[in-house]
Amino acid sequence: MRPLFSTDETRMTKPLANGEYLRLDGIRKMFGSANDSRGLAIAGVDLSVKEAEFLSVVGPSGCGKSTLLQIAAGLIAATAGQVIVNDRVITGPPESIVYLFQQYSRSLFPWRTALDNVAFAVEHHGKMSRESARQYSKGYLDMVGLGDFDRHYPWQLSGGMQQRVVIARALAAQPRVLLLDEPFSSVDALTRIELHNLILELWEKHHFTAVLVTHDVDEAVFLSDRVAVLSARPSVVLHDIPTQLPRPRDTIATRELPRFLELRHELLAMLLGRGQHG
Amino acid sequence: MAERRTGQWTDRILGLAGILASLGALEAAVRLGKVNGILVPPPTAIAERTLEIIGSGAFLLPLGTTLYLLFTAYLCACAAAIIAGLAMGRFAAVHNLFEPLVECVRPLPKPALIPLLILLLGLGDAMKLTIVGLAVFFPVLINTIQGVRGVDPVLINTARTFGHGPFSILRKVILPASLPLILVGMRVSLALGLILVVITEMIAGTGGLGYLIADMQRSFKVLDMYAWLVILAVMGYALNAGFVRIERRATHWAAARA
Repeated sequence: MRPLFSTDETRMTKPLANGEYLRLDGIRKMFGSANDSRGLAIAGVDLSVKEAEFLSVVGPSGCGKSTLLQIAAGLIAATAGQVIVNDRVITGPPESIVYLFQQYSRSLFPWRTALDNVAFAVEHHGKMSRESARQYSKGYLDMVGLGDFDRHYPWQLSGGMQQRVVIARALAAQPRVLLLDEPFSSVDALTRIELHNLILELWEKHHFTAVLVTHDVDEAVFLSDRVAVLSARPSVVLHDIPTQLPRPRDTIATRELPRFLELRHELLAMLLGRGQHG
Repeated sequence: MAERRTGQWTDRILGLAGILASLGALEAAVRLGKVNGILVPPPTAIAERTLEIIGSGAFLLPLGTTLYLLFTAYLCACAAAIIAGLAMGRFAAVHNLFEPLVECVRPLPKPALIPLLILLLGLGDAMKLTIVGLAVFFPVLINTIQGVRGVDPVLINTARTFGHGPFSILRKVILPASLPLILVGMRVSLALGLILVVITEMIAGTGGLGYLIADMQRSFKVLDMYAWLVILAVMGYALNAGFVRIERRATHWAAARA
């Protein structure tokens, strides 16, 4: 077993191309015994994302999207291949990357208030006093519109509000990369639209790199600069499509653009296995 | 909510009425000569004697002796059990190493070890502290292991993605998350510890409440024996009530979520 908490980073073999911030190189992931081919979840994925780019990864369910994202976050080790972040091969969770769990309500500490949950992101640095950590965190709660809920416990908040606390906590760590694992899949449709707009607004303001894993084609096209399509398990990247949609995106108008409809059509056809014309 | 509260109040009053009724019946039975008043003195006489002992301050030293023995053994054993439980719950190798040993010693009724420990450690505090500590240790250990193993991996991975190291994760995630179960174990252990304190004091005590209860019986001071029993009962009740209060405060989030 590899050390779980190691964060020492070694030199990578191939340098990053211009503007690239995060790159997955030949990632393979095998579960269970090495000679059982059914255990192969990811067959070989090469994928890179530029600084301040918004990339979505879509694929059929069970294709290993979440596993891939957790490998990128340094939370689990790949069987083969390497993750390169800012010119370094990672061996554990890098400081510049924050991973947002799909089970967002389970990722909040129930014994901490909303404010103290956000403060968790900056506590280990030891540079900030408890009081200044709280003041700093309050700013992030204000940013997601929860300034008045700082003393509430997570279980006293609605699903959408919990998700906002999770986002505030992630940004409080000032990450260069945000990895989002189907973060909007378990909230209602209107809350999802609100959260889409919130994440885009924060992304434009803070210039972080975003990688979103989702099974929702509409969401992927609406938010992203690029959409990567994964095959069914064992997964490889089938397509990598720039959306070329104008920003800022608008909840209604963007979705009515011919390019949006074309992309949605194309991606859905791929995922449903109806093949492509041309 | 309001209805529930009135319900609880009437329940309490009913319970109190039950106690008073049985005491009244006992009093009447003794006064009417239906029960031997030498072996079972009337409750009013016991109450009077108890208040005398409390009023004179004579209860302080025995109570202090018993509490000192209980708390010293309890706190040391709880600390050891939590540390061992964290290690066993977190690391499979440590668990596999110690689990069979634990399962050998745990089911043994701890008073059975008193003769052995007297042989090894004599009649002094070392023997008493060891036996009480052993009784306290296992429930806390088992609950801590359970608590640690039940910590949601999402919480641990959240801490990892925010750059928290193993020690920080232990302190800020695993310990608070398993605290509700640890405290349940500690509450059970408190009662067990008190039982063992009283037993050892009866066997090898020189002061303390257990010693006095046995000693008064041996010297035919039956009324005093009852009075010390009452004092012990009140102490046990107060300890448990105090612990429940602390437990509720410390884990209010777990109760509110359930």
